[in-house]
Amino acid sequence: MVPTEEKDALREFAASLKSVPTRVLETAFRTGTPNTDRSRSTFVFGNVFLHLHSVRTHRWSLRWTTTMGLGIMSVSAFLIALVTGVLLMFYYKPYPEAAYQSIKDIHFVVPTGRLIRNLHRWSANIMVIAVILHMARAFYTAAYRRPREYNWLIGIGLLVVTLGLSFTGYLLPWDQLAYWAITIGANIAQSPREVTDALNLTDYFDPGGMQRLLLLGSDQVGAEALIRFHLLHVMILPLAIAALMGVHFWRIRKDGGMVRPADADALLTARPAESVTPVFNEAPVKTYQLAAIVRGRSAAVGRGQENTVPSMPHLFYAELGVLMVTLLACLALSLYSDAPLKELANPSIPENPAKAPWYFLGLQEMVSFSAFMGGVGIPAIVLIGLALIPYLDRETEGTGKWFGGPGGWPLVRFSALLGLGVPIILEAAVIRFGWLREWFPHIPQLIITAINPGTILTLIYALFSMWCIRRYQSTRAGALALFTCFLAGFIVLTIIGTYFRGPNWVFYWSPSDWPKH
Amino acid sequence: MKKNKYLLLFASLSVLALLTGAAIQENFLKDWRRIQVQGQTDDGPIAVQLRQVVNNNLGVADRCVSCHVSMAPGEQSVRGAPLLVAHKPVVHDPADYGCTVCHGGQGQATEKLDAHGDVHFWPEPMLDKATLYAGCGTCHVALHVPEQSRLQKASLAFERLDCYACHRVDGKGGTLRPDQGGMEGPNLSRVGATAFDSEWYPKHLAKSAAATAGPWKTAFRTIAAEDLPLLGDFLQTRVAASQLVAAKSTFFSSGCLGCHKVSGVGGDAGPDLTKAGFKDPGLVSFEHVPGDGSIKNWMAEHFRAPASVVAGSLMPPAPLSDKEIDQLTFFTLSLRRKDLGDLYLPKDRIRAVKFGEREFATDGATLYGAFCAGCHGRDGQGRRLPGLVSFPSIANPDYLAIAPDALLAKTVELGRPGRRMPGWLKPDGLRAEEMKTVVAYIRTLGATEMEEDPKPARWVTAAPIAGKRIFASACAGCHGPDAKGAEGPALNNPVLLDAATDTFLVETVARGRKGTAMASFLEPSPVRSALTRADIESVVAYLRSLQGGKS
Amino acid sequence: MTTTPAASRSRLDPEPVPRRDWLGLSSLWAAAGALLFGVTGMLKLPKAAVLASPSKKFKVTLPESLAAGEAFVPPGRAVAIYKDAQGVYAVSSICTHLGCVVKPNAEGFECPCHGSRFAANGEVTKGPAPRPLPWLKVTVAGGAITVDEATTVPQGTKVA
Repeated sequence: MVPTEEKDALREFAASLKSVPTRVLETAFRTGTPNTDRSRSTFVFGNVFLHLHSVRTHRWSLRWTTTMGLGIMSVSAFLIALVTGVLLMFYYKPYPEAAYQSIKDIHFVVPTGRLIRNLHRWSANIMVIAVILHMARAFYTAAYRRPREYNWLIGIGLLVVTLGLSFTGYLLPWDQLAYWAITIGANIAQSPREVTDALNLTDYFDPGGMQRLLLLGSDQVGAEALIRFHLLHVMILPLAIAALMGVHFWRIRKDGGMVRPADADALLTARPAESVTPVFNEAPVKTYQLAAIVRGRSAAVGRGQENTVPSMPHLFYAELGVLMVTLLACLALSLYSDAPLKELANPSIPENPAKAPWYFLGLQEMVSFSAFMGGVGIPAIVLIGLALIPYLDRETEGTGKWFGGPGGWPLVRFSALLGLGVPIILEAAVIRFGWLREWFPHIPQLIITAINPGTILTLIYALFSMWCIRRYQSTRAGALALFTCFLAGFIVLTIIGTYFRGPNWVFYWSPSDWPKH
Repeated sequence: MKKNKYLLLFASLSVLALLTGAAIQENFLKDWRRIQVQGQTDDGPIAVQLRQVVNNNLGVADRCVSCHVSMAPGEQSVRGAPLLVAHKPVVHDPADYGCTVCHGGQGQATEKLDAHGDVHFWPEPMLDKATLYAGCGTCHVALHVPEQSRLQKASLAFERLDCYACHRVDGKGGTLRPDQGGMEGPNLSRVGATAFDSEWYPKHLAKSAAATAGPWKTAFRTIAAEDLPLLGDFLQTRVAASQLVAAKSTFFSSGCLGCHKVSGVGGDAGPDLTKAGFKDPGLVSFEHVPGDGSIKNWMAEHFRAPASVVAGSLMPPAPLSDKEIDQLTFFTLSLRRKDLGDLYLPKDRIRAVKFGEREFATDGATLYGAFCAGCHGRDGQGRRLPGLVSFPSIANPDYLAIAPDALLAKTVELGRPGRRMPGWLKPDGLRAEEMKTVVAYIRTLGATEMEEDPKPARWVTAAPIAGKRIFASACAGCHGPDAKGAEGPALNNPVLLDAATDTFLVETVARGRKGTAMASFLEPSPVRSALTRADIESVVAYLRSLQGGKS
Repeated sequence: MTTTPAASRSRLDPEPVPRRDWLGLSSLWAAAGALLFGVTGMLKLPKAAVLASPSKKFKVTLPESLAAGEAFVPPGRAVAIYKDAQGVYAVSSICTHLGCVVKPNAEGFECPCHGSRFAANGEVTKGPAPRPLPWLKVTVAGGAITVDEATTVPQGTKVA
């Protein structure tokens, strides 16, 4: 051992020790300050959370009107619900009565508990709204078209799981509201019996009863149902939605980013870029190597100007902005109104009216005509219809433009009026004159299941859509008409179910007219 | 893309502002914080934090003490704000028992409206001042209270015998020497709960005999034998809650157990009342209830006119004074029993749970009052209510003079199958020895001894054929064709025919029942001619033939 | 943070953005601040404001037959209460090592977990326990004995 060497090594050790904080940062963010195009690019693909984004973002995608940030808003709401939900699990006890007491504790004594619970509730609501609007945006800009057909399907899966998350969360407080909404929901799951009963098949083939049994784990809503709903709400559905979201985002990137019109670049050159960063706008000189072994069109071949800006920071400002706006909305609503908690669940005294969460009240309105058609039949038809859209509409006109396609905005406007008007007239007639059962008391159930305001509404919408396909000689026109009609119908039925239905599901102009309770 | 940056800046700053507001609200503006910062002890200001009384045996976690801090364990000395006053000295230390056990309300809440139960969705509103002692019913369910008149007699006996001279009870008496505090004997307000020496009277006598002067000679007098059990009843019911005791005795005089169950004892016709005190005002209809929307008002109106408050109710309206209605309401509010850990089981409940004693007194008057008075009336005079079948007068002297005990006992035991009268010999009804007590009591109601009947139970030998014809013309108008019952009671009832002697049946027809529609058939009336004894015997034979060959 | 010589910069790697982007930076800091503030607030949540355990003060009635030096353990409490000529005293029966409940025996206490032994006055006689068992505050008022598990008193404090 030579003493000097030892000394040097020691000094080196001391220097290394001193540089630990800087080195940790350097090794975490290997690219350094993201202040040039290259370091910004490496910042994006060197970061596990950001690399789902493409390194460069087309300027079209960053226009507010392109997406209105609805997708990011859905994700943001989900993230808020996720964080607050995990926090609520510190105190929530999934057992009848104990569940109710623990919600009371969260409300009254848990530090920040009330705000967290309110945030959870409001973010869930905002997520449902954002997801529905996001789907409408994707539809009206024809974003589902090739090559994004499959991602549209994933999106429908996400819609279903989102509604499932909301619905399963509804039972957890174990109050009257929860108990009776879930009782109704479980019986909707059982409603295929309406058909099997009428056909005398229930003894041999009972999908309805099976669904209900699987959902509740018992013949009534009790401790078993609560633990199942809890499991679905905190484990199974979040995992499912996380997986679907992963695929959804990955496909956005693989499918070439946001949809944009064929003439997007031409439209954009009219406006100067406001950014300090130079826009990357020459045509690509070569295709990517990988393209040689990938079937189909490569993203880069045969295109004009790229017209992109670095995702870092431009896209991330937008995303972070939408996240904060969503958080702001949730927070403001949470401070303004507390999440409801009614009386402890009482299986012997039904709530009247027992209402599901608002986004199911349109369904509940249809269920009041026929449990099977309203709760299972029509929703299934709608979902299948939605899923088929990208495979039936194989046109190209209007892709990436709002209300693009034959017919365009005038058609959508007319469809919206029709879609709003028909259910209002139909509801008014039913409320005023009653339906088949009132006129012919002995009518077989199967006829009511087949012919009721819900199915008639669906039929009118479908016929109108067929007419549009013929009139415009375009599937897209039919789809525009049908989607608009269903969206309008959903809104009308939801509003009627929310504001105009009172005890015993009787029509009232205002809750103040309800019989005194 | 400056827009996005402005968006981010605006949203972030707003979020920051809202969060700051929420933090201030949570950390400074909560009611309990504002009260606690005023709290002082001799050692300085108190710690500002949520406080609660937890008692797992009673199942309470009461945060009431977050505002009422001086009632929290070990904080009696806290003062400084109007709310910060110690609880007045009580037997059940709030620091141990919590608050909601007695007062009701929602112990989990930390805000006034919620905690006191003045919000819309509230399962347990707090008991108000007038009904505060109903809270005792949470634990003390078996106070062994007799019916009203007996309780009144007991109370009068205590006063008449001048026991108040030396003893203070429920804030009254102990007036022997007012200038020196007035008391010679102990305060008896709680002896029913703490138990008392059953040999008190001989000991009193002995002391009186030994004394030469003073109150033992001047104030104490010998007590008549019939007054001793009354005094016993009075002492037994001194549990420092005379209001509750009075309410209970009204309940045990109104026959509610005839239709309702309380802790597993009573009839099946009405809903179980064991936990009726927890009835949720949010879950009953106030549509036809005049007055305020409190559960107290709902109950009182419901007692006055059951069918108009609860549509379709078969409960007869209670023929009670306003005071008694209030007492029944009070009692119903006190039906709030909770399951308790053994450590906290009160003596009265131990007697009921572990030794099978009744929760009420078991003298004849109380048993009759609790089980029978609802239909047959407090004095056995029967009741006739529009829309309901009429309930027979069982104290009618004409009835009691000829009805053998066996008939009364069988009727109480087995009831009248198919009618509203249930059989009471059942696990949730009366016990065999209580049955005897009730029958004996019913006899005293009419103050009529049964007449000697030398004849055997079955002596009528007439032919039923003629009886059938006579029955159709003379009896069927009230008792229905084939004696199935109409305005008058059914006579084809197997229990009745089995237990009734021939003498009873014959004499009933012969004498009639004074005060009822049943007249003596030996006398002619404007609508029919008189029957002979032979006619009556053939009618009885006909009734016997309805029994289906049984003798 | 390496700086590349200007000569080797490519079209893809232009000069660093020279101007300070005040708007961007302030918006980023505002967002970071808001999120951080929110997260700090949320971190308060797991720390329970009230505990589900009963009050540490409790009343106790000693059996008449309790001999001097014989321990009385009230049901559900980890406290040994004694009564002798000098008065009543209470010794915590929670091991000072790792919190097991020690058992009173003739000599004192023994811990079933790691073999600590304590004398009757709480002193450690054997094993890993670092401190003697604490004596707890006892108040006697009108015959009612109140023990406060949360307050310790010096060894040997007996209340008559």
